[in-house]
Amino acid sequence: MNNKFSRRDFLKIGGLAVLGTASATAVAQNSQPGHNNSHVSPALQQHDDGHEGDLPNTVGEVDHEKNGFNPDDILTDFDYGKTSTLPSGQTLREYEIIALNKNVEVVPGIEYPAWTYNGRIPGPTIRATEGDRIRIHFSNGSNHPHSMHFHGFHAGMMDGVPGSGPGGMVQPGESFVYEFDAEPFGLHLYHCHVFPLARHIAKGLYGTFIVDPKQGRPPVDREMVMVMSGFDVDFDDANDFYAVNAIPFHYQNHPIQIKVGEKIRVYLVNILEFDLINSFHLHANFFQYYPTGTSLTPAEFTDTIIQGQAQRGILEFTYKYPGMYMFHAHVTEFAELGWNGMFEVTE
Amino acid sequence: MTQQPTQTPRFTFRTFILLLLPILLLAGVIALFLSTGGGLNLDSAAPVEGLDVERYNLTQNVIELHVRNTGPEEINVAQVVVNEAIMPFTITPNTAIPRLGRAVIQINYPWSYGEAYGVTIFTSNAIAFGVDIPVAFETPQPDSATFWGFTLIGLYVGVIPIFLGIFWFPALRQLGRRTMTFLMAATAGLLIFLGLDTLAEALEFAGEVPSAFQGIGLIGIGAVATFLLLDAISKQQTNASADETQRRLSIAFMIAVGIGFHNLGEGLAIGAAYNVGEIALGTFLVVGFIIQNITEGLGIIAPVLRDRPSIKNLAVMGLIGGAPAILGAWIGGYTPSPFLAVLFLAIGAGAIFEVIYEIAKLIQKDTTREPMPMTVFSGVLAGMLLLWVTGLLIK
Repeated sequence: MNNKFSRRDFLKIGGLAVLGTASATAVAQNSQPGHNNSHVSPALQQHDDGHEGDLPNTVGEVDHEKNGFNPDDILTDFDYGKTSTLPSGQTLREYEIIALNKNVEVVPGIEYPAWTYNGRIPGPTIRATEGDRIRIHFSNGSNHPHSMHFHGFHAGMMDGVPGSGPGGMVQPGESFVYEFDAEPFGLHLYHCHVFPLARHIAKGLYGTFIVDPKQGRPPVDREMVMVMSGFDVDFDDANDFYAVNAIPFHYQNHPIQIKVGEKIRVYLVNILEFDLINSFHLHANFFQYYPTGTSLTPAEFTDTIIQGQAQRGILEFTYKYPGMYMFHAHVTEFAELGWNGMFEVTE
Repeated sequence: MTQQPTQTPRFTFRTFILLLLPILLLAGVIALFLSTGGGLNLDSAAPVEGLDVERYNLTQNVIELHVRNTGPEEINVAQVVVNEAIMPFTITPNTAIPRLGRAVIQINYPWSYGEAYGVTIFTSNAIAFGVDIPVAFETPQPDSATFWGFTLIGLYVGVIPIFLGIFWFPALRQLGRRTMTFLMAATAGLLIFLGLDTLAEALEFAGEVPSAFQGIGLIGIGAVATFLLLDAISKQQTNASADETQRRLSIAFMIAVGIGFHNLGEGLAIGAAYNVGEIALGTFLVVGFIIQNITEGLGIIAPVLRDRPSIKNLAVMGLIGGAPAILGAWIGGYTPSPFLAVLFLAIGAGAIFEVIYEIAKLIQKDTTREPMPMTVFSGVLAGMLLLWVTGLLIK
């Protein structure tokens, strides 16, 4: 109750006291155990009602076709670019990336005016081997200036940050070519770096950048990319929905199919804005964790890791038993707001 | 009225056309405006939406929200979040809610007794509307138990104090004319205080009424219409009988009606408060509020102290003044509606102010026989102070 205390408040209180006592006495025989609505000190009551509600989920299914991307595909569509060999013998990987305004149905029924690389969230998963030459033909097809800022080694001119030259802020209708060698090996990311930065990232301008070591990583059966992010659909600088690969609850409603004994490698990137941390928890299993993927020796054997913004790492695990297994942010609030998925493990 | 054929305006076809002409022109202007926009750019950058959660209903593992679209256009309910969890929901009759249309959203959620919940409703335009459930407990359903509970509240709030006040009748009859005038003036003071209080409550509720229903305008309509209607009834009675006794009795009845509406408003507020869980225990508050409301009974009998009203009349007046509190508690408890609350409180305010006007006329009659300006002054002030001071003691 607020500090304003009117005659009506007084009457309410008086009357409620009456109602409380009146119905408590008059109706005690009528109320079921754990179901009494007539007591007057609710905060002190402990009830053991059965918890039989629905599980958190969105209602309906987003129109993936209209969105132009599907998290099922994003999981595994590694983009090695248009490959050729330079006179020096170095492998050249060329990419065409365009920044576009696009309305994306982020949860069923809600279209969010997103900013995207190539019309999808997250943007293309750029994958190369250490030492390859990367050449990105970036053009801005939106009505705001944007850039591509890669994590990794490169010249200042190629940093994609305002003030670093023409690539720092590519104006609408203009283009720029980012060119650098892929190094160091590891799991990296790229994102727009134009002010206001939080908005430019949160609206969808981010993607994964994987640099494989020269000798490659030990072979596994399945590799997948998971980008953890959120959407602030009402622009109050707080996320309303959370997800891996953009669409909340997608892998809860469409479990990822794997086999018993298959070795799985997940490239996990956190690009969540507005919240300080994100996390990943795997059910009924443990994984080897390679922070930033810059070492071939795992740093930890665990079932839960925490990532701050732009932190990333590689997870490797195998399921021993068939079944349905959850994976989700152990920041459980994020999980119930969309960042929850399932592995369906079969023989 | 005298009839003079030459001057009687005749309703001809020509008159009809002339009456219709501005309406036809209006239709044309609207059509033009709708098709061209009238040269104004009326596209807003963001959609303007309004969604009011009029009430919530909690049953075991279910949260039910009764919502109304108070925005200018149709809206679509897209997702519902309960305490930081996106929850599946069903909505009837439709996810699309037309302007001023209503819908019921049902969420199967395992809420716990005594805890607080916040529900956020996202429309398809990503506009969030929230409702707080400060204390979750099973919403009283219209069964015999809560029915009896609300009835008891009404009895304590309305009926008992008023009858206690009426029981002063035999004693007060012994008083002299001047004291009776003082009591009348005190009644006027009481009513002024109650009238202001009722008006303030109406204004408070008006803030909760969806803007499309224009709460403040509703207060004006309710109050002014009641005032004028009671005034007309009273004038009719004055014309019908010149009997002073009868007239004072009808004023007493009107005071009872005014106080009845006031108590209806109080009952609504109490019932509604019970529904949202604003509960606190305080026996002394109940006692205090019986003390304060006893003055309402006193006010009802003040005009008829010098007469011999029948016991039946006194009883009926007591019921008219007090019983609406029971009705109010039922309505407020089962279907709380700020719209109804504003309407009833406005009617109450109108009735009370009209009765003050009637009492003023009675006092004026007394004072023309025997001037006693200080009696009137001190009476009115005493009446107002009585409510103010009892209020202070309680709070």
